[in-house]
Amino acid sequence: MADRRRINGPPGATIPPIYENGDASLLKKKQVRTRPADEARKTYLKTGVTPSASGSAYLEVEIPGQEGVSGLKLSCTVHGPRSLPRSSPFSPHIILSTHVKFAPFATKQRRGYLRDPTERDLGVHLEAALRGAIIADRWPKSGVDIIVSIIEGDQDRERSRSQGDEAWDLMNVLSGCITVASAALADAGIDCVDTVAGGVAALVRDSADNGKPRIVIDPMPSEHDKIDAACCIAYLPSRDEITNLWFKGDMPDGDMSTYFDLVQEGIAASKQAGLVLVNGLREAVE
Amino acid sequence: MATKTAPSIAVPGQFIGPTSKYQAGPGTHVYESNVYSSLLGVVQVTQPAKPPGPPKRLNIIVPPQPTAPPFVSVSPSGVSDKREVLPEVGNVVLCRVTSITPRQAVVTILICGDSVLEAEWRGVIRAQDVRATEKDKVKIYESFRPGDIVRAEVISLGDQASYYLQTAKNELGVIMATSEAGNTMYPVSWKEYRDAETGMSEPRKVAKP
Repeated sequence: MADRRRINGPPGATIPPIYENGDASLLKKKQVRTRPADEARKTYLKTGVTPSASGSAYLEVEIPGQEGVSGLKLSCTVHGPRSLPRSSPFSPHIILSTHVKFAPFATKQRRGYLRDPTERDLGVHLEAALRGAIIADRWPKSGVDIIVSIIEGDQDRERSRSQGDEAWDLMNVLSGCITVASAALADAGIDCVDTVAGGVAALVRDSADNGKPRIVIDPMPSEHDKIDAACCIAYLPSRDEITNLWFKGDMPDGDMSTYFDLVQEGIAASKQAGLVLVNGLREAVE
Repeated sequence: MATKTAPSIAVPGQFIGPTSKYQAGPGTHVYESNVYSSLLGVVQVTQPAKPPGPPKRLNIIVPPQPTAPPFVSVSPSGVSDKREVLPEVGNVVLCRVTSITPRQAVVTILICGDSVLEAEWRGVIRAQDVRATEKDKVKIYESFRPGDIVRAEVISLGDQASYYLQTAKNELGVIMATSEAGNTMYPVSWKEYRDAETGMSEPRKVAKP
């Protein structure tokens, strides 16, 4: 619902016009990926940030090349286990309800306060990822609410809205949501078989490689000319199990082995996220 | 000693030891004959209770009894002390009566074992679970009144809304009651509370102190 009582700014970011015979140095240089293809970005994780919740966690992922600037900021709170409302039927196990919410300022295009289909979709993916990790029958007749607030949505604000596809940004957001929710669940003391962590791998093409497709993990869409396909994986490291798999895009050649390679790299990305997660949790106990 | 080999701090999914060496306690789970942690916290190893009684005939050489492996548990102490506990079957709980009907008393469970509950859990004491004898003569309004504090035992997880509780033991029943005049009363018999100021007595299912 648009606010008609005030004079509002434009709904998205605007970029000043740059003329053909103007100063070319004003043009922002295209970012290129400098880290190796099998290395994820630096991640910060802390648990116990929200005192009023049973468990909480905060996650930041930095933008490479910009010291101290993070592209992804997530805050997760876990409320419960608490009693179910009287209207709900008997449940012998815990009932998960996940909510993913973008802050209005989290993305280039301003978000509304109502829950939109993207957020609902992310919530469903997150629930599937966590349900495989929770030992649900330890908590009969109870429910737990997992709320992830996306404070910064991992988008390059210097680029115009027409550049880049939001679907690729959502993959990074989802993998962060899975990792941060797992940390918050551990902080809340809800029994899990493992620490589930999220990771993304993508099949990208760059003009620097003459358009040859290659697989990178933790892709930044602004660093690549084209992303062909990407997959987001929720992975249990000590069990070697995948609880959620989200695959999107087109394969240039109908080669099955590329699918497997992409999933393998996604698992590798999850393992890196899992290391951050385990170290963050250990720090919280010590 | 087995304590040395177990890790001191565990995160969910961390391997603790094989089931031949440990028994899974709270905060752990067993997967493919191995004990894994399922919580974030401190690992504790407790020896099981020794089998009671000394050997009766000392002149017979008895092979050493195979001792049960120690229990290993993960307690989230130090992480957050807000961990919620759920009432389980057999637990003794303290609860407050919120409403009564001729067939049952509805209570709110306040304390389970030693821990105060964060969430509000509903319980029901049905008329047939109030006492062990003369069940057919039980009248709920002669056993409980709204506002009483009751010690009860969980007998079932119940239906979707409430736990089923019972007070059919001597040590279970009303432990704190206020009279109709609003004064705190003291128990005088197994079925009576008396108001110290007015001298009026009211019927209750009294817990043996």
